[in-house]
Amino acid sequence: MTKEELKAKILEVIEAKVKKGGKTKVYLKDIQRDIPGASPREIKNAANELVREGKLEYFSSGSTVMFGIPGVGIGVEEAFKKEE
Amino acid sequence: MGEVKKHDTPMVDDLKKGPWPSFVDDIYTYGEKHKKQACFDIMGQLELSYKHKETHWKHGGIVGVFGYGGGVIGRYSDQQERFPAIWAFHTLRVHHPAGKWYNTTALRKLCEMWEHRGSGLVNFHGSTGDIILLGTVTEQLEYTFYDLTHQLHWDLGGSGSNLRSPACCMGKSLCQWALFDVQDMDYELTMHFQDELHRPAFPYKFKFKFSGCPLDCVAAVARADLSFIGTWIDDIKIDQEAVRAYVNGEIPPNAGAFSDRDWGPFDIKKEVIDLCPTQCMYWDEKEQKLYINNKECNRCMHCIAVMPEALKPGDDRGVCVLIGAKSVILEGAQLSTVLIPFMRVEPPYDELKDFIYKIWDYWMENGKNRERVGEIIQRIGLNKFLVDVLEIEPIPQHILVPRAEPYIFWREEEVPGGWARDLAEFRKRHPA
Amino acid sequence: MADEKAIERLKELWNKYEEVDGKFKDEMDPIFQEPYYPDVAEKLYNPQRPMENRITDIGPPYFWQFMPPIIQKNFGKWKSHQIIQPGVIKRISETGDVVYVVRCGTPRLETIDYIREICDIADKYCGGYVRWTTRNNVEFIVDSEEKLRALLEDLKNRKHPNGSYKFPIGGTGAGVSNIVHTQGWIHCHTPAIDASGVVKSIMDEIFEYFGSHKLPAKTKLALACCLNMCGAVHCSDIAIVGIHRKPPFVEDDRISAVCEIPLAVAACPLGAIRPATVEIDGQKKKTVRVNVERCMFCGNCYTMCPAMPLADGEGDCITIVVGGKVSNRISPPRFSRVVLTGIPNEPPRWPTTVKWVKHILEVYSKHARKYERIGDWIQRIGWEKFFELTDIPFTEKCIDDYRLAYTTYRTSTHFKFTKHVKTKLEDYFIKK
Repeated sequence: MTKEELKAKILEVIEAKVKKGGKTKVYLKDIQRDIPGASPREIKNAANELVREGKLEYFSSGSTVMFGIPGVGIGVEEAFKKEE
Repeated sequence: MGEVKKHDTPMVDDLKKGPWPSFVDDIYTYGEKHKKQACFDIMGQLELSYKHKETHWKHGGIVGVFGYGGGVIGRYSDQQERFPAIWAFHTLRVHHPAGKWYNTTALRKLCEMWEHRGSGLVNFHGSTGDIILLGTVTEQLEYTFYDLTHQLHWDLGGSGSNLRSPACCMGKSLCQWALFDVQDMDYELTMHFQDELHRPAFPYKFKFKFSGCPLDCVAAVARADLSFIGTWIDDIKIDQEAVRAYVNGEIPPNAGAFSDRDWGPFDIKKEVIDLCPTQCMYWDEKEQKLYINNKECNRCMHCIAVMPEALKPGDDRGVCVLIGAKSVILEGAQLSTVLIPFMRVEPPYDELKDFIYKIWDYWMENGKNRERVGEIIQRIGLNKFLVDVLEIEPIPQHILVPRAEPYIFWREEEVPGGWARDLAEFRKRHPA
Repeated sequence: MADEKAIERLKELWNKYEEVDGKFKDEMDPIFQEPYYPDVAEKLYNPQRPMENRITDIGPPYFWQFMPPIIQKNFGKWKSHQIIQPGVIKRISETGDVVYVVRCGTPRLETIDYIREICDIADKYCGGYVRWTTRNNVEFIVDSEEKLRALLEDLKNRKHPNGSYKFPIGGTGAGVSNIVHTQGWIHCHTPAIDASGVVKSIMDEIFEYFGSHKLPAKTKLALACCLNMCGAVHCSDIAIVGIHRKPPFVEDDRISAVCEIPLAVAACPLGAIRPATVEIDGQKKKTVRVNVERCMFCGNCYTMCPAMPLADGEGDCITIVVGGKVSNRISPPRFSRVVLTGIPNEPPRWPTTVKWVKHILEVYSKHARKYERIGDWIQRIGWEKFFELTDIPFTEKCIDDYRLAYTTYRTSTHFKFTKHVKTKLEDYFIKK
């Protein structure tokens, strides 16, 4: 798998999870489970590159970090804005 | 600079009294001088917390700087109306220099920057070691980061599922017991693993800490997923004349650490020989000479700490690498356990870096979400982790005592003939 | 304000940084000599193109440039040290050089004016260099006895407006250290108790032990405002931990909007959270339910989901743990143990907590032998004796029931007869 293929695959995996409902923020682990062909380190590097390209964003609870597609699902900051 | 709005804070004000430095006095003085509303609002909110006995900070969120998954912690007040200046009050973790030395020119410039970009409140330092800049709004985050990197050549530290900012003791900069260069190793590994420090890579956090000797002043054994603790493999160096000076009361024991109480005259038998955990020392009263059976020594440092002028760690030095410490969340607290009892180290520590990748690769592949490396070792067993994962030969130094119960998970290849058996043959010998 | 020339200079300075790869050794990074320009970031940073001219992954400044020349010269050459008075360590190098390190407690939570005052002192006496310790102390290093005397006099007279010392001298030898602590209500979203206020209250009360050497050994104190335990609270001589005691709320109307339900479910280490559906205004909504019987109030769910708050002014309380350590000296590192819990949360001065901490410290001081850390003392006399001597009421809460609990139960007839032991069976039953 080339890096570009891996990046496309990562987006595919996250989009599929969103479509299935429930989950819009995923851990690296969740992505790894669905892409057994790539090593965790390759997946990490590719996912982080997607963030640099603006195609993914981080979601941090402070103690852990997840990945999500910008604008999809709940960002806590948006949730706060909603309350106003 | 407009007028500031003050709040009535009688309970918080009580903390202005007493001899210990008052953070309340400090914050109010600063707020008055620089007309910083945030200082008054945070004291106001603290007063409210003192009244309700509950925090008024909301949950964090996705704030951060572009491309980094760590270094910024989002923080919002639930009292927007009353304390608008701290509605958004995010934290930035700024990576401290190894050993926490500073030149004032650099420190002052950092202060200038934070006065302009944020509340002016800081922690020196956070528990992990970073300088903590407390309190700014979302819009200022990128500009603060820009100033940090372009005007101070200074980077953020780690948070989230990242490598956290490594930390070390004062090391060779001030201490005669630093048995390896903790600052250099801290810096070298920090720089080598920048990607892991800034971008999420792991199931959960990962910490390195470096202590120069077994006294472990950075608490590596209690806090670090990988603890590097200096030790030595040869003999303790003895200056017999200095030992006699201690015995004769010419030098205060323990470098003067007990100076304010009369513990009576120094008694080498009672205070050193009898307290040695391995009983490997002998003081010959007649000869006035100290003997150490170094083969039996476990390098606890007690004798060296009591008589620092007379005893010194040996010259053949290296590190003991331990793995898996953490606090209670989730599975309960753990201390680090011995992984590599002793190894000599040389910059740039390439073999260690490869070794660390090996640990991470396994953890990244097999760790559950929010499972620290110490917890995965608990789950699979230290024996499997050593042998199957790291391919390290198990030795008695890895354990305190051997296992008590004999439930052993044999591998098929270890058993003569394997596990495949002929039932018919078996029943021929043992009719059912 | 930054003109074109200044911006050019910043670019050149970045080139210079890259040339040496940040490893400034003989001189400090010249970027710090350049004034802080408050407007550079706004001029150069383009939010539409955040990656343009971005500097990332540079780590902290190289530590060597921040160490004073005399430290650079004697790096790794220190021979011995003497604590000439509490808080003052004389360090002697094999080159013949001598430095005096003056250690002062700080509140950790401070303003940049306090940091600037530290810089003023460092500029006046220490050639513009200063360092911090792992336990939130600041250290001023001078190279002559004359400077030392002037510095000590100066430090003594620096006070906040209401009389607290800005820089209390101490934290060495057989005394109490500065309290390692967390954020508390000043900046955290999960605390059960405040941090800075409790620390101030305790240190005010045991102030004399910070600046003296009259305890049997070094005593390290720590505080964590919740079970996350940022810092090595679980291995401290005496530590204070804030704990929650009520299960989390579940905000059914809000949870699906602000949390990822599967993450909230997965957050519970005891599997006490399950997904559920409720009907609100005729609409089905996804939510969770908590099995309160299994809840151990750890707060992990709240960490993952803001719609499950568990802080409660009435319910949250304080636990005191004792006997932990990280040093290998004499005995191995060990965990602190819970001796008191359910102590009320009492802002602004926490009198019950303060009273117990001081009491434990003084009972220890009275009974322990020289060199015995609190945990070593208890190991020698037995926990039953500890409870008797301190008059701490022993309760079922001190008996472990989490993982590996069995290893903490007594499996021998080796115990001492304290007031807890009865002679008649009927006296062992709880009297209603």
